[in-house]
Amino acid sequence: MATAADSQDGEEATPSPNSSENGTFECNICLDTARDAVVSMCGHLFCWPCLHQWLETRPTRQVCPVCKAGISKEKVVPLYGRGSTNQQDPRDKVPPRPAGQRSEPENNTNFPGFGFGGDGGLHFSFGIGAFPFTFFASTLNLNDGRPQPPSAGTPQYAEEQFLSKVFLWVAVLFIFWLLIA
Amino acid sequence: MAMEKRLQKELQALVNDPPVGIKVDADQIGQNLSEWLVNVDGAPGSIYNGEKFQLQFKFGSRYPFESPQVVFVGPNIPVHPHVYSNGHICLSILTDDWSPALSVQSVCLSVVSMLSSCKEKKRPPDNAIYVKTCSKNPKKTRWWYHGKQCYHSEYKTSLLGMSSMGINT
Repeated sequence: MATAADSQDGEEATPSPNSSENGTFECNICLDTARDAVVSMCGHLFCWPCLHQWLETRPTRQVCPVCKAGISKEKVVPLYGRGSTNQQDPRDKVPPRPAGQRSEPENNTNFPGFGFGGDGGLHFSFGIGAFPFTFFASTLNLNDGRPQPPSAGTPQYAEEQFLSKVFLWVAVLFIFWLLIA
Repeated sequence: MAMEKRLQKELQALVNDPPVGIKVDADQIGQNLSEWLVNVDGAPGSIYNGEKFQLQFKFGSRYPFESPQVVFVGPNIPVHPHVYSNGHICLSILTDDWSPALSVQSVCLSVVSMLSSCKEKKRPPDNAIYVKTCSKNPKKTRWWYHGKQCYHSEYKTSLLGMSSMGINT
């Protein structure tokens, strides 16, 4: 088997005009040299028109034809060879192949993470969302600039005590409901 | 057009560098690339050693995006739990699991490998009813790929019916 392959390679070593080199850059679908080449995240090479047609054929189950990895239009990378763009413009029938994504290089001039700079950067906030718990949470906010509670004996005080009890009961009922539901 | 170009390439590759036990006759195929006969040998070391089979491939215009129709033809249909006596093959890559990266060669190798993994020559359990009722095109059968067993859908429903009636199959 190995010797057969070797002798085959030996013959192939002489330059043959029409066979492409080793098939490394052949589309996995049309078996021709890939044009408008795209490569999947799993590393498999296709013509964009071929891959697009395959994705259209199975819209519900989009998998790489070679390795069955998940694949999508957004997650293929176009390959741009040198000077290949001005050969022809084949984007007439199929939608144009997705553009490459270019991310800016990171620059680490500042100490990373804590930017207490002039842009007023850092905001922390703590909170617990569900209603009965905010009841407890709000009691933890000390000196947060709200007006002082009214002094005991005023009608406003009584009203607030009443409201407070109502909300407490609502909270208790809510928790009870959560427990039995 | 794309289909013909690709089939031409596949044919050339198969003629120039055939895998062991797989032979295709380019002259017989001739100009009509949409139908091929491929000669396949049972693999040495398997229970089909020394047997010769013939596979018929029919390619639609949407090949390779759609799978070819592949059936065993000729005098010798292998006796195998996934091969019906009319030549139809229950193999998932021929329908649901088809991929355009597969080829005539890889299909042939898969079929040979399917044969080789078999320990006992046996027809599928639903062979008689399937052969009577099936379409000529195996791709029209709704196959259930089910581990070792292979059912077409009517057999599956009858199986389910039986088990719901308390009959153990």
